[in-house]
Amino acid sequence: MTNRTAIIASNGGIFDAYKVFNIATAAAASEHEVAIFFTFEGLNLIHREASQQLPLPEGKEHFAEGFRQANVPAIPELIGMAQELGVQFIACQMTMDVMGLAETDFVDGISVGGAVTFLEFAKEADVTLTF
Amino acid sequence: MKADHYLDAIGLSCPMPIVKTRNAMKEAETGEILEVKTTDKGAKADLTAWAKSGGHELLEQTEDEGVFTFFIRKG
Repeated sequence: MTNRTAIIASNGGIFDAYKVFNIATAAAASEHEVAIFFTFEGLNLIHREASQQLPLPEGKEHFAEGFRQANVPAIPELIGMAQELGVQFIACQMTMDVMGLAETDFVDGISVGGAVTFLEFAKEADVTLTF
Repeated sequence: MKADHYLDAIGLSCPMPIVKTRNAMKEAETGEILEVKTTDKGAKADLTAWAKSGGHELLEQTEDEGVFTFFIRKG
């Protein structure tokens, strides 16, 4: 039986992006069925422009060098890889309405849904994570 | 040990070695052996766990000057 991993991404910094996409791609590479629900600041992680230059936390800007040295893949690369591996991206409709965002503001291949869309997926999940 | 497939994941960091291993393993037939080379210290535990969860057999694991080599038989 396939394992299922359900992730909520609710923060929009670069650290958050790595936490979310690394776990998601690792789970998908281990043949898990994976969905991520992006809500509030988490929407930054799949925003067409914002995802290209996510901020480091205040006072942690010096870690930019560490990312370069560790040869960590860039976030757009991880997004592409996650999608190739079949990770589903669900953008929260309510947050989009609040922030005035449209589906076209996000990377291709996402779906838009509400809390119930995610819960339907998550109720059968073996692993549930919130970032 | 002789491998049927070879993956160079040297210099890549998490989660790339696992993702690339997964993709390389997709190309292999059951029973074939994949050789993976990586410098990611985390991959030592990760590849072992990945092989186990996917029903593959980790045949051999060695380290030489910071390069980890894995031989995994596809299950």
